[in-house]
Amino acid sequence: MSELAVTALATNHYYDRNFSTEAIKILPGEYFVTQSDMLLVTVLGSCVSACIRDPATGVGGLNHFMLPDAGQETGAVSTSARYGTHAMELLINQLIKLGARRSHLEAKVFGGGNVLAGLTVTDVGARNSAFVMDFLATERIRVHAKDLVGRYPRKIYYFPATGKVLVKKLKSMHNSTIVERERSYRDRIQSEPVSGEVELFI
Amino acid sequence: MGKTVLTVDDSASIRQMVAFTLNSAGYRVVEAVDGQDGLDKAKAGTVDLVLTDQNMPRMDGLTLIKSLRALPQYKAAPILVLTTEASDGMKQQGKAAGATGWLVKPFDPPKLLEVVKKVLG
Repeated sequence: MSELAVTALATNHYYDRNFSTEAIKILPGEYFVTQSDMLLVTVLGSCVSACIRDPATGVGGLNHFMLPDAGQETGAVSTSARYGTHAMELLINQLIKLGARRSHLEAKVFGGGNVLAGLTVTDVGARNSAFVMDFLATERIRVHAKDLVGRYPRKIYYFPATGKVLVKKLKSMHNSTIVERERSYRDRIQSEPVSGEVELFI
Repeated sequence: MGKTVLTVDDSASIRQMVAFTLNSAGYRVVEAVDGQDGLDKAKAGTVDLVLTDQNMPRMDGLTLIKSLRALPQYKAAPILVLTTEASDGMKQQGKAAGATGWLVKPFDPPKLLEVVKKVLG
């Protein structure tokens, strides 16, 4: 396998009746970029999404990820920093491939709720939020809006053609789907090595 | 004397991580933000190894490699590609352009150092 299996393009297309538009649902570990006037939907617990677009071309997309727990490991090249950077880079590369200019990019960021409270010692959501803000600052990508941390999961509706985002705070969690989905994603990224393959031509 | 590595990537985060990794192993690192900047910096001073991304504004990695290979001082220098591109088609294009090797992101610091050491002989 040449690419991280836990970071992939979303494939979950559907027709959204409420908004009367083509839509795609982005699951944990996925990302999606489009040039079309469509709707991108994702549900975030402690995970974060960066919604990034080039307003000049209308190309936009979002990702959905969390950092793996790096244990005692810290620093500039920790496993978690490399995983998060990769999740962001895949989104940005796809934006540029579909015609966005790096210097035009603007972001809105969401998620990082403390919804896995009790399951982990650290506040995973706050850590994910801090990472995405740091990354965007380092890359000098402007942040036009953010709704991060707090107690509740969020449902995000992103319209990349206009940049509009609707955020619904999910105050009553009648079922544990969000938490279950995040836990299984977390288990997957915890076991996958953050390392691509190497080939020498000599 | 530490050898000099030119790291070419449009992502500041990647440049920081690569520079941190190489500095910690005693290499001197010069950074460039795209292929054109990389070509200018390679011409301005001699570097022992070029480590370049593929997708970048202004000039991509493959064009940078072809441009460097046309210069006498970089005809035989090691040039590695560090990219999210993992397809065999892209790797073949890299090989044809004159790349010494192809590393798929995310990079693993010990593995990167091992490859750098190997190609620098």
